[in-house]
Amino acid sequence: MASTPALPFHFRSSLVLAARQFPRNRAATVGFVILLAICLAAAFAPWVAPYDPIQIKLSMKLKPPSLEHLMGTDHFGRDIFSRMLYGGRTSLSVGLLVVGFAFILGVPLGLASGYFGGKVDNFMMRLVDAFLTFPPLLLAVALVGLLGPDIQNVMLALGLVQAPILARMVRGSTLAVREDVYVTAARALGASPVRIVLSHLLRNMVSPIVVQLTVVFSAAVVAEASLSFLGFGTQPPEPSWGRDMSEARRFLSDAPWMFMAPTSIIAVCVLSINFMGDGLRDALDPRAWRTRRSVGTDA
Amino acid sequence: MWSYLGRRLIQVPLVLLVVSLMTFLITRATPGDPVQIMLGMQTSPEAATAMRKEFNLDRPVYEQYGLWIAKVVTGDLGRSMRLNDRVTSLIAERLPISLQLAAAGMLFALLVSIPLGVIAALRRNSWIDYLCTGYTVLGFAVPNFGLALILIYVFSIQLDWLPITGIGSSEAIAGGPWKHYSPFIIPAVALGTLQTAMLTRLLRSSMIDILSQDYMRTARAKGLLPWNIVVVHALKNAMIPFVTMAAIQFGYMIGVQVTIEYIFAVPGMGSAVLNAVVNRDFPVIQGFTLVIAVFFLLTNIAADMLYALLDPRIRY
Repeated sequence: MASTPALPFHFRSSLVLAARQFPRNRAATVGFVILLAICLAAAFAPWVAPYDPIQIKLSMKLKPPSLEHLMGTDHFGRDIFSRMLYGGRTSLSVGLLVVGFAFILGVPLGLASGYFGGKVDNFMMRLVDAFLTFPPLLLAVALVGLLGPDIQNVMLALGLVQAPILARMVRGSTLAVREDVYVTAARALGASPVRIVLSHLLRNMVSPIVVQLTVVFSAAVVAEASLSFLGFGTQPPEPSWGRDMSEARRFLSDAPWMFMAPTSIIAVCVLSINFMGDGLRDALDPRAWRTRRSVGTDA
Repeated sequence: MWSYLGRRLIQVPLVLLVVSLMTFLITRATPGDPVQIMLGMQTSPEAATAMRKEFNLDRPVYEQYGLWIAKVVTGDLGRSMRLNDRVTSLIAERLPISLQLAAAGMLFALLVSIPLGVIAALRRNSWIDYLCTGYTVLGFAVPNFGLALILIYVFSIQLDWLPITGIGSSEAIAGGPWKHYSPFIIPAVALGTLQTAMLTRLLRSSMIDILSQDYMRTARAKGLLPWNIVVVHALKNAMIPFVTMAAIQFGYMIGVQVTIEYIFAVPGMGSAVLNAVVNRDFPVIQGFTLVIAVFFLLTNIAADMLYALLDPRIRY
């Protein structure tokens, strides 16, 4: 045991097994494919979108969906389908960045809090309590409103809202795993705290963390839309799902497609992410696997 | 249990202290000068100094905080910088409206989720169970402001059944019960749908869990009426996690209302915070966040208490 690898040797193979397990859940697979399609369409918007999203063409205003304009046009004659594609770039990248931010901030805090316990834990959890006393959306509105309506501030605010939730969850899991026999064994073998945290604690929390991150992702997409809807996110004329819904309020009776397009896209995104999260929960938890396979065959 | 309640209540001022300190630091550390926003760009330096003095903004932050806290303890939340009203009277104006809207949303959630959850659990894999699953899945996915627009389009514009504005307006209050309560229907449904989805799913799964327990079989073997079995034996036990969840969610609803208040022009707590944040009206931000935090903490404590009251096995 002199030169042990940085990760337990089953780690890679168990990921492979999880990846094999995931497609067995049909809803999760469909969710993953739809989400991937939306992400790709947004990423390649300049090539996919049939029109310029901010090009005003008043002769074409408020046209219902047709073959020419798949989702119709808005009050400036802009193609809604193209606007949705470009708007997705903001929403989805904010979602991803918030996931990253919450991970970088929340996971180490939660691990430290749970592993060291005592004063560190007490101090951090009171701070988390204070954050969680604010309703999440209102906290984000306050932060963005005070920092200035700007997409970076939106991201920062949403990350600050989500990180404490993640930290609390990671702390809980750490407390549960910390007392397991293999952690005591590792400590008895003289493993350093860093090694115990990284390769024993974190390894056994992959499933809840990944699932929570999908929750963060869908919450961030909705929250970004809510903030833009309230006028605190993307500024016009830049396309944005939430902002466009706010504009559509003035044309509810004349152009219902204007609010239906962003509403359904947000709903489809959240649905796909939620289904994917359910699938990941099952795939990453060996106890929930539908067929047992011998572990470590391709290590 | 009473000593537990006491311990929880003692913690409330501590959490509030942290919350208010955080609000204070965030408002002071972020850009945007309230005096300049209030008085505009072409103001005389004297007027700005006078205003800064009036609201203690010329002092260091810790002194401002100390002065503010000393007043809060006596029940004085200060004056709004913009509206020249007492913050307490603003809260007295807006809190009842927010509470009514939250209560209406919760009422809708309870009215739908209890029957739907119970029937879905009793008739598993029937069409009503699939309806229940579909409803919960969609309830989680559609954001409340999107749902609000859909409801306005269908029930207000196309069918012309329900009004969309008028919450808290004087003519609505004077015009009898229908005039008073009908503007609440669409916002309440839009607001409560997420909670309905959560509660339905929770009730369905705990009902399914309980229906497979041994004492259910005993109850059936004793020849009890099916109605009695479902309501007295199963539902009563399934309500334990349900009530707790409902209480916690109710605590959240005041803060979630921002978007709904914005769409329906409701003069509630959320829109007040929104305006105060835009105008950098520090006393209003501080006062309102404090009240929202108190409300949230108290509903959470109530949830824990209800849990112990409903389930005799739980002792604190």
